[in-house]
Amino acid sequence: MNLTELKEQIKHRWPDARCEVDAASSTCEVNCSRAALPELCGRLFLGWNFSFASLIVEEGASEWQLRYCFYGDREAGWVHVLATAPLAEKTFPSIVKFVHAADWHEREAEDLFGLLFEGHPRLGDFILHDDAWQENVEPMRRHFDAQAAMLHRKPDADWRPRRIVQEAGAFVMPVGPKFSGVTESVHFLLETVGEDVIRSTPRLFYKWRAIEKLAEGKTADEVLLVAERFAATTAFAHGLAYCQAVERICGAKIPARAKILRVFLAELERLRQHAGAIQEICESTALVVANSQAGILEEDLLRISGELTGHRYLFGLLALGGLLCDLPNDACRRALEKSQHTLKQLNELEKRLRVSSSFLDRLEEVGIVAHQNAMAYGLLGPIARASGLVRDLRKAQPYLGYENIEFDVPSEQEGDGYARLRILFAEAKQSVRIMEQAVAVLQKGGVRQPLLLRAGAALGWVEAPRGGTFHWVRLNESGRIARYRVVTPSFANWHGFHLSVEKFAFQDFPIMLSTFDLSVAENDR
Amino acid sequence: METQLLIFAFFALCGAGILLSLTTPGSRRGNVMVLLGCLAATALILAGANALLAGDTFSQPLWSLPGLATLTLKVDPLSAVFLFVSGLVLFPASIFAGGELNRESWRSNGCAFTVLMFGLYASIVLVFIAGDAVLFLLAWEVMSILCWLLILWGGDLENDRVGAGYLLLAMGEAGTLAAALGFLVLGVNAGSLDFTAMKSNVAGLGAGVRWTVFLLSFFGFGVKAGLVPVNFWLPRAYTVAPCAFVPVLAGATLNLGLYGILRVNADLLPATQAGPGLVALVVGTISALLGILYATTNNDLKTMLAHSSIENVGIIVAGFGAGMVFVATNHPALAAIAFVAALYHLINHSLYKTLLFLGVGAVENQTGTRDMDKLGGLIKWMPLTALCFLVGTLSIAALPPFNGFVSEWLTLQTMLRSVELSSTGTKIIFALCGSGLALTAALAVTCFTKVFAMSFLGMRRLDKEQKVTEAKSDTLAPMAILAALCLAFGVLPTYVIPVLGSALNPLAGGSAADALVPPFFAANPAHNTLPPAFADDFHNLGAQVGQDVLPGRGLVVMHRGGTENPVVFAMSTSYMLVALIVLLLLTWIIIRLWLTRSLKLTRCERWDGGVRKLLPEMTYTATGFSNPVRVIFDAVFRPTTVEDTRETVAEHFRAAIRREKERVHPVDKLVFHPIKSAALWFAGLLAKMHHGRFNAYAAYALLTLLIVLVVFLLFQSP
Amino acid sequence: MSQWVITGLRTGIKTTVYPRGAERAPGVTPGLPCGGAFDAAPGKVLVDCCPTHVFSQINGTVSADTRRCIHCYRCVRGIEHPAGWEQTYEWATVRSPSESPNEFIPAFKRSIHICVVDAGDCGACLNEVKQLNNPYYNMHRLGFFITPSPRHADVLLVVGPVTDHMRVALKKTYDAMPTPKRVVAVGACALTGGVFSESFVCAKGVADVLPVDVEVPGNPPPPLAILHGLLLAVGRKPPASLVSTSSEMETNAANL
Repeated sequence: MNLTELKEQIKHRWPDARCEVDAASSTCEVNCSRAALPELCGRLFLGWNFSFASLIVEEGASEWQLRYCFYGDREAGWVHVLATAPLAEKTFPSIVKFVHAADWHEREAEDLFGLLFEGHPRLGDFILHDDAWQENVEPMRRHFDAQAAMLHRKPDADWRPRRIVQEAGAFVMPVGPKFSGVTESVHFLLETVGEDVIRSTPRLFYKWRAIEKLAEGKTADEVLLVAERFAATTAFAHGLAYCQAVERICGAKIPARAKILRVFLAELERLRQHAGAIQEICESTALVVANSQAGILEEDLLRISGELTGHRYLFGLLALGGLLCDLPNDACRRALEKSQHTLKQLNELEKRLRVSSSFLDRLEEVGIVAHQNAMAYGLLGPIARASGLVRDLRKAQPYLGYENIEFDVPSEQEGDGYARLRILFAEAKQSVRIMEQAVAVLQKGGVRQPLLLRAGAALGWVEAPRGGTFHWVRLNESGRIARYRVVTPSFANWHGFHLSVEKFAFQDFPIMLSTFDLSVAENDR
Repeated sequence: METQLLIFAFFALCGAGILLSLTTPGSRRGNVMVLLGCLAATALILAGANALLAGDTFSQPLWSLPGLATLTLKVDPLSAVFLFVSGLVLFPASIFAGGELNRESWRSNGCAFTVLMFGLYASIVLVFIAGDAVLFLLAWEVMSILCWLLILWGGDLENDRVGAGYLLLAMGEAGTLAAALGFLVLGVNAGSLDFTAMKSNVAGLGAGVRWTVFLLSFFGFGVKAGLVPVNFWLPRAYTVAPCAFVPVLAGATLNLGLYGILRVNADLLPATQAGPGLVALVVGTISALLGILYATTNNDLKTMLAHSSIENVGIIVAGFGAGMVFVATNHPALAAIAFVAALYHLINHSLYKTLLFLGVGAVENQTGTRDMDKLGGLIKWMPLTALCFLVGTLSIAALPPFNGFVSEWLTLQTMLRSVELSSTGTKIIFALCGSGLALTAALAVTCFTKVFAMSFLGMRRLDKEQKVTEAKSDTLAPMAILAALCLAFGVLPTYVIPVLGSALNPLAGGSAADALVPPFFAANPAHNTLPPAFADDFHNLGAQVGQDVLPGRGLVVMHRGGTENPVVFAMSTSYMLVALIVLLLLTWIIIRLWLTRSLKLTRCERWDGGVRKLLPEMTYTATGFSNPVRVIFDAVFRPTTVEDTRETVAEHFRAAIRREKERVHPVDKLVFHPIKSAALWFAGLLAKMHHGRFNAYAAYALLTLLIVLVVFLLFQSP
Repeated sequence: MSQWVITGLRTGIKTTVYPRGAERAPGVTPGLPCGGAFDAAPGKVLVDCCPTHVFSQINGTVSADTRRCIHCYRCVRGIEHPAGWEQTYEWATVRSPSESPNEFIPAFKRSIHICVVDAGDCGACLNEVKQLNNPYYNMHRLGFFITPSPRHADVLLVVGPVTDHMRVALKKTYDAMPTPKRVVAVGACALTGGVFSESFVCAKGVADVLPVDVEVPGNPPPPLAILHGLLLAVGRKPPASLVSTSSEMETNAANL
């Protein structure tokens, strides 16, 4: 259904809600009362097939403003559900019963802002670990005094992990935060009775750098640097999402050449990140030659990126209003040729992996994420597509001219590790296909249109290699950041990770971890 | 001193113990137990040693019961061994029991307990020295009832205890009945219930009768010993028996069953066919396997030790069965070796099992729990207990230089010697049982690693409020004694084997010591079966090294083959101990005092992956440690899911996952539960007669009287 | 499974010649800015354009503290007088002995075990460390092995600006390593806190928590630079000075 029909439906059911449709950005803003929130959001999520993108909490001068962002397919557009409350009242009804995908968003809001979501059974000990921080530290509040908070640290000495398994002899096996060889820091609490994992609870946010707080008060360009660098394996995608948000606020028109080059670079990053994910999977299953082959391909793509742009991870290219510098056409063509060659080798690797039975044994029918679970948890990206949940932002809410580019979005139904691997290979093929089309339509022209910063707020979204990422930016009058809210694909996917490892043996755990292609840095921000 | 005198002294001391325990006040009763118990045990040890070493056996007729038999006391080398072992076990057990009695909770029941204990001591010894079936069965019955009473005494009567007690009694009576029938058959054949008479009249018995006697005595005495399928009372009884009694139950009364089997099937009725021996072998192996599997997956210290007892008894019986096969197939030397292995294992088991039960008693007294999942880290507060317990664990896991290693080695070697048999079928059975026993040994290591690690090592899982201190000396002293004995029996096998051989050689027909103890190690040089060249090689190998320095060297040799090409399986535990000590010292000297003398040793926290605080619930539990065994042997355990619920809140939040699995012991499922249901069904049938109407009861009495009169008239001889 | 053997053999040798020779393949390193002679006004523009204050101007020379560089390219792109650029990778430096007391014994020159701790890194530095094991760099041939347990490690390699939650874990890892040990801080965040230095939950680099021996600048430093850092740590490469001079000024024209 389109936005007008949606508006009718909402007005019919919730007459008190005020709807405003903005056709240009195909967004519908719904202002509703706090009490109506759960039902309305539930209807959007479960009934009308919208996906949940982000919960943005903003502390206004006199009131709280909570913005729930939902998006549907192309004609459905965006729906922002807004609820407000006076600053003194910090209670909101929880929507998790209907929109389980909002679970971690609400927990984060409780930890960072001190809001209470009634009906959420698991608030607390999320970002601010109870055994490291005292209660009532609300870092994202405007009046937060960092020095005072750090000085008066009173961690809970009696903190105990939450036990869900009630079986004789069950114990909680701790993994991390330092574990394995070269892995990101994350703490797992695996509840088990010895052989298999009955319940897995990841304890994240060991790498929490509070970038949302850090960004407040900085210039838009400074925050672009932060956006690129908080999750640098997909730096370009995040920087792009941020730029899109700011450019949307300022109503900027990006030069056509810059758009095409942005598409090219985004797909180059996707290709490189997928090669890296494939290498991780081969490494976790200890298929050594495949690991080396995939490692060669990832390094090749890093070198292609480095040769083309000067930086292996595509730093320093994005600028507000376009690109910081131009890339010569023949350099782009050279990079494309090398990428095509790499893709050919990637396809050969896939062919060989498909017939390696000992490798497939570790992935097939292991770590299954069912379709309905993927939907309920709001999983994003290649893992969601492996469980049959196909909603690619490039097709659903196109940006940068993706609507004019021909490409497929692969999907699988099994939801096991092998399905996720197949998706990675298929998406790599599609990325090169997009890059070929991009190079073919490279036009002459400038790559940057200087921006006139003005106050406002907008959401920028990009289909990053790991899934959709949503950056919300609010600028104040002096062009500085008033609120920066980042939702990354790993935030959604870490939420659903435990679904894949439960009931499987310890030995399957690292393999499933690698097939999910999760980034702790992305999640922790 | 004469054996007879010592036995009399023993009974006198038991009697004195009973009298004194009735007359001394509660606070001194423990000391009575200790003093008189130890004296009695010493008398027993001396009696056994005298009979074995000095050959001072006796046979003493007592009273003659008309129509039945003359009650005889007879001490021959076989019973002497058992007397000796019982003495060794009762000595530390008495000290421990006395110590237990001195504790608060026992003051009220102490009198009955001590009386019953001394009575039990007396009845045990009476069984061993009974020379005829009547005295044997009388003493056996007294012993059974005293065991039952002792289980019930000492603490509150929970349902478990009463139930386990009844089961012990019921199964005990069934076993006694079977054994009595076996004796009866032999007695009918011999015309007298005297053992010597029975033994001399067995020549004419047919195969059927032999099988009957074997099965009756094997499964009858097997109840007491703890063999599958009649051992389902054992874990229950051991778990509920009071701490002070359990060491005696496990260390002394278990041997009675084995004594019965040995006495009937090796002494009174030597095997002429391989069949019975093979049955014993197979039953022993199955008992051993089932026992150790259930021991590995059990978390209660006492129940686990009970299952481990079943395992050890299985090994003993398997060795004994092998011996019976060798006797039947005319391999006297091998038979002797097999019997020696079985009896050695029996001695070892008595020693280390008692030690382990003492350790468990100490742990339970200090911590109040026996659940391994709740213990942990006790070595910090109970180091000496832990050390003695460790010795017991190493012994039962058959690790050198302790005693379990010697008997396990000998048993497995005996299995390997089955290649010398002629029948292929027998050889296959031997091979399968041998591999089963080897699997048992491996599982035993797993089991006892888990026991020691989960109870004493790791992080403490008990409540912070629970105060844990070292066990008192009345527990530590007996444990130390037993630990020293374990080491002694492990390091000096060549002194033990000839002594056991002297008891068993007449039963086997061959000499064990000749094949096991080289002539230059305290064996009779005249019986040397080793070729001289080979013996010389041993000399040259340095087997005589340190003969002046090392007073007790031990080398166990199993020799095979002819004089031209002897094949030797040899091991020396005393040399192992020496080598162990030397190597440890050398390692310490080289590494600590030389190579790293300039490096500073720092003690820091354990590496835990960088977590802020490692909590006890983050450490492996006993259930988790043994879970791989549960999973691998799923076909044996056949778990059924009792509960598997997942509780969710707000549609998706998992609040609780409750899982519970039930594992019914196969013996319970196949033997106990059917018998129970059959018995209940039969009792239901009989209950139809108990309807309470007086007239019907009067009719029953009349009917019985009429039947008796008719029978009397019919069978009255004119 | 023979397909894998054949594939491996057919791929041939991909390993770089470094450290025996210089690696000149394109894209192996992003390079670092270097100082030079600048007039007052362009010099001031240069000094002001850098968000992490890499440049400082004294009397007509602009010097670059490359430890602070976060590779934002604001000093060479979109600026009238760009800074010089060094397309090298041997950037690692050894801190002066008074600042880091750990003494290494010669036995570690040939082979060491490295324990890698992620103290809040963005993922790029960690990914570059991971590339050290691929056939291109193959650090095993140089005797460097990665070990998961600090008990077996000689060198602690830290990436990330040390978030507040990771302090305890990092300290515990360091304490669990037996002496002698060395600490290698990799990446701009680990040296100075990078763009996160102003966050209230980030330290300003590893030096705030542990004594650092070798520093590898870059955001992220390419695998070759990390290799250079490790070679410095074991003493197989001679240490250079902290502040870069304009020795090799190969500017990458395509990127400007």
